[in-house]
Amino acid sequence: MPGRYDRSALAVDQATRDGGSAEATQVEFRAATKRYAGAERDAVHRLELDVPAGEICVFVGPSGCGKTTAMRMVNRMVEISEGDILVGGRSVRERSPAQLRREIGYVIQQTGLYPHRTVAANIATVPRLLKWNRARIEARVEELLELVSLDAELRDRYPAQLSGGQQQRVGVARALAANPGVMLMDEPFGAVDPINRERLQNEFLRLQAEVRKTILFVTHDIDEAIKMGDRIAILREGGRLAQYATPAELLMAPADQFVEGFVGADRALKRLSLMRVSDIDLWQAPLAFPGQSTSEVRAKLDGAEISHALVIDSDRRPLGWLSEADLAADTVPKRPSTGPEPVLELDDVMRDALSDVLQAETLYAPVVDAQGRIAGVLSVEIISEFLTSADALEEEHPAPERPLAER
Amino acid sequence: MTAAAHLTPILAQLGPEFFKERSDTGCVQENGAFCFSWAADNFDRYVTPTLEHVMLVVPSVVIGFAIAFGLALLSHRRRWLVPPITGATGVLYTVPSIAFFFLLLPITGRGTDTAIIALTAYTLQIIYRNIVAGLANVPPAARDSGRGMGMTDRQLLWRVELPLAVPEIIAGLRIATVSTVALATLAVFAGAGGLGDPIYADITFKTNVVIAGGLAVLLAIAFDGILIVTQRLLSPWRTVRPV
Repeated sequence: MPGRYDRSALAVDQATRDGGSAEATQVEFRAATKRYAGAERDAVHRLELDVPAGEICVFVGPSGCGKTTAMRMVNRMVEISEGDILVGGRSVRERSPAQLRREIGYVIQQTGLYPHRTVAANIATVPRLLKWNRARIEARVEELLELVSLDAELRDRYPAQLSGGQQQRVGVARALAANPGVMLMDEPFGAVDPINRERLQNEFLRLQAEVRKTILFVTHDIDEAIKMGDRIAILREGGRLAQYATPAELLMAPADQFVEGFVGADRALKRLSLMRVSDIDLWQAPLAFPGQSTSEVRAKLDGAEISHALVIDSDRRPLGWLSEADLAADTVPKRPSTGPEPVLELDDVMRDALSDVLQAETLYAPVVDAQGRIAGVLSVEIISEFLTSADALEEEHPAPERPLAER
Repeated sequence: MTAAAHLTPILAQLGPEFFKERSDTGCVQENGAFCFSWAADNFDRYVTPTLEHVMLVVPSVVIGFAIAFGLALLSHRRRWLVPPITGATGVLYTVPSIAFFFLLLPITGRGTDTAIIALTAYTLQIIYRNIVAGLANVPPAARDSGRGMGMTDRQLLWRVELPLAVPEIIAGLRIATVSTVALATLAVFAGAGGLGDPIYADITFKTNVVIAGGLAVLLAIAFDGILIVTQRLLSPWRTVRPV
């Protein structure tokens, strides 16, 4: 599959860690406040939160909520008026802005690539500022191109010669160049079309699973926040923190009406996008093998959770469902009259799985593991049970400011 | 000090040489549109004025660029300086050129210096405005990401802003150079020679005016070509084709 981040490149990445603080660092907002002269109210008001090392924290909120300002205070692109921000335990206020910024990755919406520089030169920006020698920069550029799945021959192209998705990858590679511990990303996928955005998001999550940077990610899109964030900080106008929680907590227990409204009425459905099929207790269908006598199968059907038998082959791969007509014969046929489709995987996101089941107009679908072997059956009923239990959960935890639970 | 007082002796000095050539035969006698044989025989007399012309244009544009560049950098992070500098260079630009030469004569005397000072003054407005516009048109995202990645103001200027402004800066240089080539034909009134010398020596002799004027046009085209090539070399990213 194109666009998969390469793991072997990452091994080298780990070896060249002296360029910056390769270890992810914690970011702490300590009543950080931004007030512009003459403004009626603060742009960011006493923001207090910790972003644990190696996690993605998404700042989300309506326009004018100060999410970008809050993010830009971290690398002092916006000066802090009051309070403080600690990166790796050190106040950013004590550090020279230029030095600080070279240790913090920076990705912005319009990519901010330099149109007059080639891909390689763009990626080499911070290493050059840090005065790395040429050979080391060359090696690093090559490594990063591989890391973000860009063809090595793109290195001498100019940004205008790249697609939007490629430009975005170069932007990410450039931010990672000196191996920073913290990355700031301001709507990094905002200018990409929806199909490519989804792909870039997935790639980025895969990349993050390997590099484990501390990432502050700004978006106005709650769905993107839920997908990308380990934690989400919802800001409201005036730069006030409305809630800081994991996506699941946010969806289960919005702190107040503002958060509830922002998260959207479909938050129960959104929870489905946080889950994989493997997270749910699946049903077990009565299993049948080709050539087995139908009377044996009939016996199994009595009292089973599912009133249809699933035929599997010798590798336990689903072949299809037995119909009444199939059962009228003496033995189970090799090709049951109803195929197994749709076949889901344990790794599928629940929302996609539900969509597949609904689209196929069936009530249930076999779920297979990575090897294609039957693992259970997902039914619309299980999902609806799960959704109701989620509502029940919400009733149990009405407190707005619950402490963060480990995910 | 009036214009006429200086004008008469300059033309009187140059004139007779050319007039003498007019006395002989056919085409020249009749003052035809272009006398080829006369042109072929007399072409060498235009070589020195052409070289003088180059030596008026090049220093004027180079010095003008240096001053305008300095002013543009000065006002780059002090935006409030832009209107007064634009105003001042604009005033210089509006002074009629011949008047400029004569105003300078009592200070700098007759000769190349006077001409170059005036010609330089004319280039300032165009070059300055183009540098300022070029810097202002740098994409904000490129500037923001430069700063965000830890560039100092100076690094941002030299590594991002100026390279991106090159096409507009050179566009300004092209206009300034071409107009300086044209204006330099008036440098003869400052006693600085150039192609204005043969032109005004016998402005009624068509062949003479066509040759001298034509050389000025060719010079302008040549300078323009050099600048276009320079721009291509300095900003290859402008001409790449999307793949």
